[in-house]
Amino acid sequence: MSAELTWTRGDDARLIGRRVPRIDGPDKVSGRAVYPHDKRFESMVWAEFVPCPMPSANVELDLDAAMAVTGVVHAERVCGDKTLYLGEPMAVVAAETPEAAREGAAALLATMTLTPLDFCVTSQAALREGAPSVGRSGNVTRERTRDQGDAVAAFAAAQTSGGATIDVRYTVQVQHHACLETHGMVVDYNGGQNATIHGSIQGTFALLDGPNELLGLPAANVEGNVQHMGGGFGSKFGIGIEGRVACELAAKLKRPVHLFMDRETEFHASGNRSGNEVTVRAAAGKDGRLTSLISDSNKLGGLSGGSYAWLPYIYSAENYTTTQRSVHTNTDGNRAFRAPGHPQASFAMEGALDELAYQLGLDPVAMRLTNLPAEENPDFAVWHKHLKRVADEIGWYEHPHRTAPGSAKYTFEREEAIGIGFGLSVWGGGGGPGNQVEVSVDRTGTVLASVGTQDIGTGARTLVAMIVAEELHRDLDDVQARIGSTQYGMGNVSGGSVTSACLAPAVKDAAAKMRVELLAKAAAAMNVDAGELAFYAGGSVATTDGTVSLSWKELCALLGATGLTTHGTWQRDLQASGVHGAQAVKVAVDLLTGRVRVIKMICMQDAGLILNALTAQSQIQGALVQSLSYALFEERLIDADLGARLNPNFESYKIANSIVIPEMQVIFDEDDDRGVIGLGEPPAIPGAAAIANAVHNACGVRVRDLPLTPDKVLMGLEALR
Amino acid sequence: MQNFDYIDPSAESDAVGFLKDGAWDATSVRAIAGGQDLLGELKSGLLHPTALVNLKALPEEATRTMQVAAGGNVRLGSLVSLAQLVDMPANDPVASLLQAAASTIASPQIRSHATLGGNLCQRPRCLYYRRAETVCLKKGGDECFSYGGNNKYNAILGGGPSFIVHPSDMAPALIALDARITLQTPEGRTEMALEDFFTLPSDSDVTRENILRPGDVLTSIETHLSAAHEWRTTYVKFQERDGFDFALSAVALALAFDGDTVADARLVLGGVAPKPWRVPRAEAALKGVTRGDRAGFEALCKTVGEAALRGAEPLDQNAYKVPLTKGLIQKALHQLLLS
Repeated sequence: MSAELTWTRGDDARLIGRRVPRIDGPDKVSGRAVYPHDKRFESMVWAEFVPCPMPSANVELDLDAAMAVTGVVHAERVCGDKTLYLGEPMAVVAAETPEAAREGAAALLATMTLTPLDFCVTSQAALREGAPSVGRSGNVTRERTRDQGDAVAAFAAAQTSGGATIDVRYTVQVQHHACLETHGMVVDYNGGQNATIHGSIQGTFALLDGPNELLGLPAANVEGNVQHMGGGFGSKFGIGIEGRVACELAAKLKRPVHLFMDRETEFHASGNRSGNEVTVRAAAGKDGRLTSLISDSNKLGGLSGGSYAWLPYIYSAENYTTTQRSVHTNTDGNRAFRAPGHPQASFAMEGALDELAYQLGLDPVAMRLTNLPAEENPDFAVWHKHLKRVADEIGWYEHPHRTAPGSAKYTFEREEAIGIGFGLSVWGGGGGPGNQVEVSVDRTGTVLASVGTQDIGTGARTLVAMIVAEELHRDLDDVQARIGSTQYGMGNVSGGSVTSACLAPAVKDAAAKMRVELLAKAAAAMNVDAGELAFYAGGSVATTDGTVSLSWKELCALLGATGLTTHGTWQRDLQASGVHGAQAVKVAVDLLTGRVRVIKMICMQDAGLILNALTAQSQIQGALVQSLSYALFEERLIDADLGARLNPNFESYKIANSIVIPEMQVIFDEDDDRGVIGLGEPPAIPGAAAIANAVHNACGVRVRDLPLTPDKVLMGLEALR
Repeated sequence: MQNFDYIDPSAESDAVGFLKDGAWDATSVRAIAGGQDLLGELKSGLLHPTALVNLKALPEEATRTMQVAAGGNVRLGSLVSLAQLVDMPANDPVASLLQAAASTIASPQIRSHATLGGNLCQRPRCLYYRRAETVCLKKGGDECFSYGGNNKYNAILGGGPSFIVHPSDMAPALIALDARITLQTPEGRTEMALEDFFTLPSDSDVTRENILRPGDVLTSIETHLSAAHEWRTTYVKFQERDGFDFALSAVALALAFDGDTVADARLVLGGVAPKPWRVPRAEAALKGVTRGDRAGFEALCKTVGEAALRGAEPLDQNAYKVPLTKGLIQKALHQLLLS
């Protein structure tokens, strides 16, 4: 039957495509929602990591001092002989109270012997001759090059032929995920045959496979539970060291264990978006067509490899040579983070295109279109549509300076310079098999929709309920969505913008089967052919001519003691992959102070079939705010000599707050025929590039180093005056 | 954080008694009022006091009242909250400057607890100071790590050997209002200009930002703008992130007018020096200036800005504070002279 499945849409839909508030929204904003961190169990012990206070050290532990603290029940080493980054958990202390655990951790730290080892915490230090080796393979790994044509010759030719050339360096900082709920879990285990693990995690089923072995229990006896979780953004795929240690402690102590990172350790040890430094030499002909791009990129992922999308990113260049390598430092490794590698690459590529455009006196919108030749690749056409639309919406065609930036000069009449900038995005974002959804209806009329998937914060629980309610013509309140448990059917992880495209088709499949089965029951009872029956408002069933009908209550009364249960799986035809988008940003630059105020951000993006217009919009707005925050504020500060991290807290690691959030306009490029596609990552890609481009457009200051803090912008203004 | 005694004093003199035998080391008894700075220091592991003396328990009503005198000058108890300053009617130059400064501080939640006295006595926000593991000059060590390290937020004026900046917003505003403070000390009550309360790292004790000795309790603050003139005031604060951030630079400006002519000026900078930084040369340059002189404004701003920043010695990462502060001075002058 799957081939016949189609989404209820447009005017036929009561819920799908509408703005449906989250069913758990009131619980979340009122504090009733219980997050994993909030779980409390009788006789639970509180565990605390002892993080390494230096970038690298040989570690000798003496557990006695910690064990001597009143209330401490257990302490053990969790690291190897030596640590490799500041914040690396060295030991764990478990106690009757969180205060005793912290006191024990402090005692352990005070009595251990740490022998500092040489380190490098910046790429500059890591690349220095004779630098200490961070990993076994040295400080530089995974160098790769992709090329086409002869970029070096083309660049040389451009220098003499009157085109435009640039030879510049773009750098982007490390960004923290800054999840409001830190990494951790509560393992509810009392030594018996069963355990429940409450994890703040992006995939419920990651709690099942592995943790059970750590607990020494069959998988069937362990429930993973994620009713709510406070943010992941790519950093919470696995159980991590915090999950492993929590399970091991629970197994040893035969008591429930609460182990979460504190905020400082969260900043130090829970991953990040890798930084990047890239040199770009690029050339364009007088028509704006890219003739050469030569790039060389260091991915700064600490102990991990970092990520960086290949240049020339989405654009077409006749010749290119693009190299990237990982440069390792003694800092915690990067993890996946909302479109890994893309914002970094976008910042350099969109900046380079802008620089070439202004050098040639070309409109940067036209410049982009020129380098997305639709005749060369039909897929490029969608970007033409998106870019032209956002340009129009932001007022680009009425903007006074489109081919040269505005002046840096302050006057009474012009205290702020207004600028507009652009950037484009691309992503995959389709679904795949995995989710196993169960829908059941009993004779009282209760509808349950169950699947183990987690809600990373985008409204998965609401999605499950609304698809079933739509199918059975019931109200949203009439469907109970049960998610976030390994006791329900398999659920896919949330990552790569796949959640909805994985989940929704499987829910639809189960709901549609339920509709068919209910109609068959009704047909038998009403003595008509099922093909003549349909659902109507409130879940009543009637013949198409309306002569015979059953109310929902009457229908469900036919089901008997067992009720009806259906199972749904992923249906390829209900979803698609491939997401394109464009953003336009308007900023005001204060010419006396360098303050960048983002006035408006517009995002147009492929949206396929929108399931919930409200949560879809929220998802994109969240990405816009996150990229604004990346562009203007967020910056991990490290003292290279001390190896010290200077701002592991929400005071000095600055994140956009409500005051700086601009007007946001989300334009969905809907295409119902494609079905469900992913939304969440692509809008996080081009914002920083667009903001930097807008700042240049406003006042001529080109900042090639994120974030665009007022010091950089102001010194740029000073240099132009 | 270790356990500590929590003492409710029965009178100001009682508080002084509990505090006077302390020292300024990390384990000494400390006074707590709103706790918005002190609790952060405790949680960050910078202090491990054996006892806290709860100033909010003081029975003296004058420590928590605001009294407006004729001419608009105010007497403020040191326990007056920043929220009270934000909420005060601001239809005169004193109140409007206090309100303007207070409303830029932190968040409404913090302002509801934070006190004026605590704001004046708060410790530096330098990233090295706030990091427990780093024993810098301010904590009895022998190095200011911001010098040659991360110093984007540090001092361009008055620095050395420590390069912290004083984080208070109320202090520059109050000094612009010619405020005097009252201290209850082991020797009795004493009064002084607020300007003289603050110290530079080079003055005496590099670990301190003011003249308080153990046992001294700041009890009230009183403004003293001369009644002989009509004053106009403004506070211009620049934060890296608007809202909930400390000043990268701030300007408190009070101008006294005889008709349209500036008869007196008080200009105090925040966020750029280890103490609120009054700039007498710039004040002198403002005397005799005419309100509404658009033609001469650019030259005036240049003169005043350069006088104010004279002697600035930026570190590697904070040269921007020079043009930034000049820009803020220009904004302040624009408000008081041209609008």
